[in-house]
Amino acid sequence: MTIDDINNILASFANCDDPTFVNAANYVAQASQAAQAGQMTPQELAETLKDLQRQMEIIQDMQQLQYKERLNTAINGLLAIIGAVY
Amino acid sequence: MKRLMVILLPLLTSCAVYDAVTMTKYDPNEYLLISEIRVDARHYAEACANPVMSQPNAVSMARKTELFQVYSENLPSNGDGIKAATALNEIAQGLVTQYNISNKVSPIFCKLKFEGIEHSANTIQHVLGGRPR
Repeated sequence: MTIDDINNILASFANCDDPTFVNAANYVAQASQAAQAGQMTPQELAETLKDLQRQMEIIQDMQQLQYKERLNTAINGLLAIIGAVY
Repeated sequence: MKRLMVILLPLLTSCAVYDAVTMTKYDPNEYLLISEIRVDARHYAEACANPVMSQPNAVSMARKTELFQVYSENLPSNGDGIKAATALNEIAQGLVTQYNISNKVSPIFCKLKFEGIEHSANTIQHVLGGRPR
């Protein structure tokens, strides 16, 4: 895979509906362009890409937490209804 | 009532429901900490071109994300929160590590680091704010 192939993949995300992927693609594109222009060392680029993985982990963890929050709200709502009826 | 209990009992005993019922409630200290991280990251990103400011800012941010991680660690039933706090702290510590390796950290690297922290802090803040009261 060449740098051009990678840039093409990133460009395809630009029209994606999900802002998470658009932001991630912009982040990678910005980092790889800076590295190509000599504004960032290879070590810094590698660390930046690892950061993107960490950011994705955070998004996943927070989605899980959000599902639990919604479930919690639903259960409490259900219990309130049961309490009101019985 | 019996019919309702027949429906509810299996639900209440499943893991996901148990996690949802016992999940950590809204904590104003936790919410304040993540808000501070988000605001600091936004301002620190703007100071990345200034080498005198950028290193102390990186250290200050790493201390705050460490505090956030340590604070989250012992909150009960907070598995997802701990994982996110750990990942956020790793992002911040990575910038300090680069400054320890070399004093000449690229301004664009510094900026991307703080933007990443701000973005993740925003994601976390949004969910922590929605925790049950």
